[in-house]
Amino acid sequence: MTLNADIAASKGFSDDQLAKYIIDATQEVFSTMVMMDAADDYPLQEPITRFQCSITGMVGFAGLYSGVISVHCPVELAKKITSAMLGIDCDEINEDLNDAIGEIANMLGGGVKQVLSKGGLDVKLSIPTVISGEDYTVNSLSDIDCVVIPFRIGDEKFLVGLTLKREE
Amino acid sequence: MANILIVDDSSTMRKIISRSLRQAGLPVDEIFEAGDGIEGLGVLNSGKKVDLILSDINMPNMDGLEFVKSVRGNGNNTPIVMITTEGGEEIIAQAISSGASSSIKKPFTPEQLQETLGGLL
Repeated sequence: MTLNADIAASKGFSDDQLAKYIIDATQEVFSTMVMMDAADDYPLQEPITRFQCSITGMVGFAGLYSGVISVHCPVELAKKITSAMLGIDCDEINEDLNDAIGEIANMLGGGVKQVLSKGGLDVKLSIPTVISGEDYTVNSLSDIDCVVIPFRIGDEKFLVGLTLKREE
Repeated sequence: MANILIVDDSSTMRKIISRSLRQAGLPVDEIFEAGDGIEGLGVLNSGKKVDLILSDINMPNMDGLEFVKSVRGNGNNTPIVMITTEGGEEIIAQAISSGASSSIKKPFTPEQLQETLGGLL
């Protein structure tokens, strides 16, 4: 048996279950690898799909579950996160910043995968993808379980989103 | 003092691991970096003295499991520790059966590195 018993017993996830997995995984990543405290502001008050002066890191799942975990972060906060992770002064969008945000998405993907697949063989993770821009939108094109968690670091905010579908 | 090879496609993670090794007070001399298994094999085949290998699993070109098999297939018995987001029991079991010594789950603390690597250095 490779699926957690409580997950296997359920047909899907409630928003609150998904939110708890994401909040726990995000706070662990930020406290241990970024050395910043990320406080959650769950639930999100209004859907957000449009991002300005931001960077988005994404990792896909495939297998027993399919979906995407994504981190959406304003560029100014992403620079601070990158500086804290690498112990350098990051003041522009560059390879370091893209890699740092991609790696955060990768670690969050690993955290969620561990909930979905105890054994780890029936769910595959993609290599991270990172996009950034002055003004862009991110949309899921299918009606599947989706939850977005707002987080705060000081006065600055970022989002972590998870879309998830169990393949029958 | 030990020379360590870090194999990870994330330059951020390679830098964090390097910093954490020193923060953990481990006896580290030179650190070599590789972005995937193929580059890792290149470092090992270059004749550099490597005492410990730390490898990610999920990488492009050659993943960590193939890398471990190739290193062992070349008759190299240097200890290999997987440092990975892949915490699943079956994947870790595959890595161990291929020749890895142990694993560390990302995210990790310097203390966890010290605990797992201390006995290998």
